[in-house]
Amino acid sequence: MNKLFVVGKLLLTLAVVMVFTVGAAATETIVLWYPGGEITSVALLFHEKDLFSEFEVQNDCRVELVAQDYDFMQQKIFTALASQKAVPDILFIDQSWVPGFLKEDALDQVPEVDAAAWLEAVDPVVKQASDYGEGTMYCYPQYGADIYGLTWNKDYFAEAGLDPEIAPQTWEEFREYCVKTCKKDEAGNIIRVGYAIRHLGQPHGVVHKFLWALWSAGADLVTDPKALRGGKAAFNNEGGRKALQLVYDMLYTDKSTSLDFPDPRTAFLQGLASMQISETISIQTRQPTEAPNLKWGVAMPPVMEKGMTPATNYNPWVYAVPRTAQHKDLTWKAIKWINSKEKDYQFCVKYRMTPRYKENWDREPLVSDPYIVALRAMIPYAHPYPNNLGLNGIMEALGTAIQKVWHKEASVDEALNEAERLANKAIEEAAK
Amino acid sequence: MNRPVISKIVYVRRTFLYLIIAMGGILMILPFYWMIITSVSPVTDIVAFPPRWIPSHLTLEHYQAAFDSAPFGRYYLNSLIVALGSMGVSVLFGLLAGYAFVVYRFPLRNFFFLLVLSTLMVPFQVTSVSLYIMLAQIGWVDTYWGILAPNLGSALGMFLIRQSIKSIPIDLIEAARLDGASEIRIVFTIVAPIIKTALATVTLILFLGSWNDFLWPLIVINSPDLRTIPLGLSLFKDPYGGMNYGPLMAASVIATFPMLIAYVFSQKYVIEGIAITGLKG
Amino acid sequence: MVNQIKQWIQVARRRHYIHPYLFIAPLVISFTIFRLYPSFQTLRYSFYQVELLKQKTTWIGMENFLALFEDEIFIRSFINTLKYCLYMVPISTVIGLVLAVFLNVKFRMSNFFKAICFSPYITSTVAAAMVWSWLYNPQFGLFNAVLKLLHLHPQSWLASSRQALMSVIIFSIWKIVGYNIIIFIAGLQTIPNVYYEAATIDGAGPFTRFFRITLPLLVPTTTFILIYNTILAFQVFDQVFVLTGGGPAHASTVVVMEIYQQAFLKYRFGYAAAMAVVLFVCILAITIVQYVISERREVVY
Repeated sequence: MNKLFVVGKLLLTLAVVMVFTVGAAATETIVLWYPGGEITSVALLFHEKDLFSEFEVQNDCRVELVAQDYDFMQQKIFTALASQKAVPDILFIDQSWVPGFLKEDALDQVPEVDAAAWLEAVDPVVKQASDYGEGTMYCYPQYGADIYGLTWNKDYFAEAGLDPEIAPQTWEEFREYCVKTCKKDEAGNIIRVGYAIRHLGQPHGVVHKFLWALWSAGADLVTDPKALRGGKAAFNNEGGRKALQLVYDMLYTDKSTSLDFPDPRTAFLQGLASMQISETISIQTRQPTEAPNLKWGVAMPPVMEKGMTPATNYNPWVYAVPRTAQHKDLTWKAIKWINSKEKDYQFCVKYRMTPRYKENWDREPLVSDPYIVALRAMIPYAHPYPNNLGLNGIMEALGTAIQKVWHKEASVDEALNEAERLANKAIEEAAK
Repeated sequence: MNRPVISKIVYVRRTFLYLIIAMGGILMILPFYWMIITSVSPVTDIVAFPPRWIPSHLTLEHYQAAFDSAPFGRYYLNSLIVALGSMGVSVLFGLLAGYAFVVYRFPLRNFFFLLVLSTLMVPFQVTSVSLYIMLAQIGWVDTYWGILAPNLGSALGMFLIRQSIKSIPIDLIEAARLDGASEIRIVFTIVAPIIKTALATVTLILFLGSWNDFLWPLIVINSPDLRTIPLGLSLFKDPYGGMNYGPLMAASVIATFPMLIAYVFSQKYVIEGIAITGLKG
Repeated sequence: MVNQIKQWIQVARRRHYIHPYLFIAPLVISFTIFRLYPSFQTLRYSFYQVELLKQKTTWIGMENFLALFEDEIFIRSFINTLKYCLYMVPISTVIGLVLAVFLNVKFRMSNFFKAICFSPYITSTVAAAMVWSWLYNPQFGLFNAVLKLLHLHPQSWLASSRQALMSVIIFSIWKIVGYNIIIFIAGLQTIPNVYYEAATIDGAGPFTRFFRITLPLLVPTTTFILIYNTILAFQVFDQVFVLTGGGPAHASTVVVMEIYQQAFLKYRFGYAAAMAVVLFVCILAITIVQYVISERREVVY
């Protein structure tokens, strides 16, 4: 029995020793957090092991790239900031999270000189997304990733007798196409949906994929998208109701879609959905490996009625720096370096993304690539997210309302009234 | 003349018994079977309908993908450090305290005992929020100490150990004292060997609890270097896609494998131990 | 002077005053730091608004608790937790008891089956929940595949607001049943065979024996199982987090999930602390009630 104790004590000592020896100091290291996992085709960038090696050599430092799970990432960032220990230096995050962090006064401002230069050199939509008021920047938007578009399966269109080169333009056509391209088995179960909807998971994600409908119906998230404080929820109106009702009808009246295909992109790639609306770059990067024989098209999402202006989301990933980070000079230098005009061009060519700098648009091969050209036509209609500090609360309220309506847990009016109340509350609290 | 009839009834009963138990057993083990099969099936089999109970051919590509995506070796190490640390500390403290509460009469003995016992009542979630804030203020967040922290105050080990020390006759201890043994020596060389079964059970329970812990590591760990296995596994979570289940199941197998193997070899022991603690509870 | 102190020490030593305090010190100290103090802190924080990033705490009295009563999501999570408890505990107890009775019969493979039934309990909840989320997948999961083979309607499981909670409950039953079986078997084995033999001689059939002898004598074991399962049910988190994340639309969220969300995703520590206090009070109340009821029903032959 003594032997066992000796072994036990040894193991314990070993454990304690390990605890103390782990975590050795190194040369100046800056840590970048990015979201790992399927959701981030954009973060392909960070799979390159030597992404920053040139910068590291030039500045005698190390840049460590750390993947965090997208679902936990906000929480992880918060706990890191709260502990004031091991605060990451660069946060590569969803821009719709920025207002939440701004509310907690957690982000550092981009150095003014750099901000002015950037705003001067980039595309109007990027400029709109970068400017938080009077030339203040809190982050650098990454581009190309998050233009949302309608993608459709050309073969399924042809099979249903529809022109495979043209997407539905209005909501009426959209519903019709959905019914025609949906497929059921003998028992009446849907085995292929006309349009795949996202309704599970974080309410934010649900809202992302619903905004096209909201905006093209004339509603919005808040009354003043640019203001950090104030304003009211702008979705509890005719437009909002019609937008929610659209999918509800497709689910329960037309029965051309179903709640059982909760990941629109995978469903589309697997041939289980004829149409879906989400980030075009996801399909673009995944299709060659996951669905090599898929023939697909991309276009603007449909408008409510003919003649209305189409709308889609532009929700970039951004590089941000926490206010309590340690090596800020080096960090901003690194961010500037990776967002330079030349780097922008290189990444766009390599990953087939749309550029941010005005000049890069006109360079080959970007200027003749059909996918990039199609996106270029869509970009003028892209809306960035509101800057309101209460954005988290608004998204959560609206997302929950959407889920409730589509799950038949509440009527459209009830859900929207409730969501408006909660969203206004969030806006108020954030404005304090 | 009665016997054949009775045998028949017994036979029917026995078959019924076996049937129920077999069904129960299959339901219990089905998820594990499916987990293992999916982890070695090619993607086409995974999404096939009707479901393939036996894969068309075996593939290790998912394990490759799983190991490529995450440093499981590191996760094992972390889980091991944390589990050993928390188990070691709890057993050590529990042994000393258990001995003291049984053998000695001293002022405030009952007070301290009830105080410590009361922790078993308070669920961890109640303390976790404040514990986190406290650790944040002393810089223990995202460190091994931080992960160990909640287990450092656990009274479970002490309670179970005390139960078994009670059954040791005091004469043994008196005799040892007369022989000139110091109290510490008595604890480790006399008491501990006598209660070794209980000690082993407590060790197992604590180790298991720590190894499988998810909520606390989720809250307190940020760096990938410190991730324990449940946390590392949850990074594979992509419950919507049909494509990711191969690597996910492979990762699950990797995560549960050691415990399952250890269990297979010690299951009789584990089950008996748990049963005894249940009775005493 | 020094000699006097030395004498005192010797006396104290003989009367064994030093050792006990020394021995319980490590446990008591670490327990106070890591358990007792945080518990009181949580109670304290529940009366404050805590803003960790800004390092600020503001006294707001009962506001957190009052807000809880109006918070629909919290109420939903509370109801869900109760529902969860009401379904999971009785079902897993009954199944555990039935299987324990069967497995208690000495047949060749009984130990093997015991081990199999216990295996879900020792696996990490996260890993097991991952496997079940795969089983529950509406398109490719095994459960729907089997339903389709049997020409039954495939279900949405975790994707439906109606079925999400139930799906989690089914998982939890699967996970805990093994533990219940083992404890029940241990309890069954404490019942002396003499009683059964005497009853059989008196002409009692198997069902009568079960209800008149087994059940009453199993009351302490059953109480333990009920209390343990209930406490587990109230504290459930891991499987909800992995399987549904609380959704869809808060359909399957539970109290601990909300505590986690409020504290670590919305940074409202004071509010989360208030929830934790409410949780504690509920667990305490239910445990006491169960214990008292069982004391009355305990039977000794």
